[in-house]
Amino acid sequence: MYLHRPTLAALPWLALMTDPPLCSADPAVISPQDPTLLIGSSLVATCTVSPGVPLRAQDLYWTLNGRRLPHASYAALGPATLSVALARLNGSRQQSGDNLVCHSRDGSILAGSCLYVGLPPEKPVNITCWSKNMKDLTCKWAPGTEGETFLHTNYTLKYKRRWYGQDNTCQEYHTAGTYSCHIPKDLALFTPYEIWVEASNRLGVAVSDVVMLDILDVVTTDPPSDVHVSRVGDLEDQLSVRWSSPPALKDFLFQAKYQIQYRVEDSSEWKVVDDVGNQTSCRLAGLRPGTVYFVQVRCNPFSIYGSKKAGIWSDWSNPTAASTPRSERVAGGCDPKGGEQNTTLRRELKQFFGWVKKHAYGCSNLGIKLYDQWRVWLQKSHKTRNQVLPGDKL
Amino acid sequence: MAAAESPSAALRRRDLCSRGIRLAGKMRADVVDLLDAYVEQQGLDASASVAAMEGVPLAAVERWDEQTGTQRLLENLAAYRAFRTLLAQMLEEQREQLGEADAGLGRALAAVLLQVSAFAYHLEELLRLESRGIPGEEGDGPPPPPRLSLFEQKLRGLGVLRELAQWAVRSVRDLRQLGKPSSAAGTAPGLAESP
Repeated sequence: MYLHRPTLAALPWLALMTDPPLCSADPAVISPQDPTLLIGSSLVATCTVSPGVPLRAQDLYWTLNGRRLPHASYAALGPATLSVALARLNGSRQQSGDNLVCHSRDGSILAGSCLYVGLPPEKPVNITCWSKNMKDLTCKWAPGTEGETFLHTNYTLKYKRRWYGQDNTCQEYHTAGTYSCHIPKDLALFTPYEIWVEASNRLGVAVSDVVMLDILDVVTTDPPSDVHVSRVGDLEDQLSVRWSSPPALKDFLFQAKYQIQYRVEDSSEWKVVDDVGNQTSCRLAGLRPGTVYFVQVRCNPFSIYGSKKAGIWSDWSNPTAASTPRSERVAGGCDPKGGEQNTTLRRELKQFFGWVKKHAYGCSNLGIKLYDQWRVWLQKSHKTRNQVLPGDKL
Repeated sequence: MAAAESPSAALRRRDLCSRGIRLAGKMRADVVDLLDAYVEQQGLDASASVAAMEGVPLAAVERWDEQTGTQRLLENLAAYRAFRTLLAQMLEEQREQLGEADAGLGRALAAVLLQVSAFAYHLEELLRLESRGIPGEEGDGPPPPPRLSLFEQKLRGLGVLRELAQWAVRSVRDLRQLGKPSSAAGTAPGLAESP
């Protein structure tokens, strides 16, 4: 089964042609074929019916991406040639090209041409790179200020050792997002690298500025492992966090500093503790009693082999959850001393018994439900009067 | 003859046929999804009429119910071998044109190509069971395909996927015929009645 030039339409008149050579099998030809154009430019395309095909210019019409183009834009340039004029072209609707198609009156496709309308690429910007444990290098970049070129744009990340290297091309793209590339091996330490990105499409090439870096200055590592969060005895506002250094850290001559972030279960807002230093444990204080907290830790390796650059933070570890002990006292109050607590309780009980006398009709229905009713009543009373309750008069 | 087939061979044939039916059913579903994605990515009209193209095997067949089992298998095998070449070419063109820009479509295309290859192998297994030689794959290799315009490539891709979807349906029916227990002469021919 071999591929031959396709016949574009079921055309009855082709039966009249006896085994046409492959190149003349097209019922019509569009010119220009598959052109590339800048946004805003104009184009005149022609559709010429092949000799032997019984169609005239007036039997033809044009579509662009399936939409019929108005007759006003047509001109018959000969008995078998129809042109169409397209002005101020917009960027291509799909990167595979807009479909400009010449049809016969019955809708059959006679010929087609793909139009690539767009912009040349812009210079890629904001190249940033990081090396995981000094073993590899990943770089990402932004595609320029405008971004959209409407054409398939190819990005190539290139790198070389600064003084005597030859150009190398990164092979593993899209590893850390759309505009990124990963170099997995064969990287040298103790030598600066030059890194740049080339963007190319049908309308041109643009090359980024060259970024110079030393692998040792862009090292990051795995997140800390074995993160444990536990209670600190009965302390209801504290949790203890412990973790292990990333395994790779042990192999390298560098120090590490850590950050912790935590949040309550029902909030998306993280609170960051960034003064942890190089310890591998920390106590979180000032927490809410009886509350579930999520905790994450990350690591920043620095001063690798004496590098003066600030390290790069690792990803956060997976969240670890723990809850603070539930408070024994009435929630919401400040931390009263024993005597004050006693007084508050006595006062509340006094209020309660006074209320019961008034509302419970001889205690026939005394129970926790009644107590709950009283709490509701108490809250309402606080809101509306904000003064001494009737029970206090007892 | 039907009577010549051993019980174990009949069992194996039925097993291969039912597995082939499942493969073809899955392939059909994936090709239909791929066709939707392809039409969208290429900006084509899903209902565009594309005539038969040379090199793309047509599923349409006359006197289908008169075909022998071997005939069915050989036609299926030839078709899927052709689709394997056509899909590989589409995949290459896709990568050439769009790189990784539409990786999803590329992956879907590669997945269908894999299914087509697996199905072709499955058909070879069935032919082997019948003690039939497996036809060779064009010894000298296919001649280089003619250079198509980009629009022609798009249309050919549409034609290939449409026809492959039709073939998947036909293959399910073919394998159902082949999987039927050998019946008396005069009914629809199965594998055992192949000449």
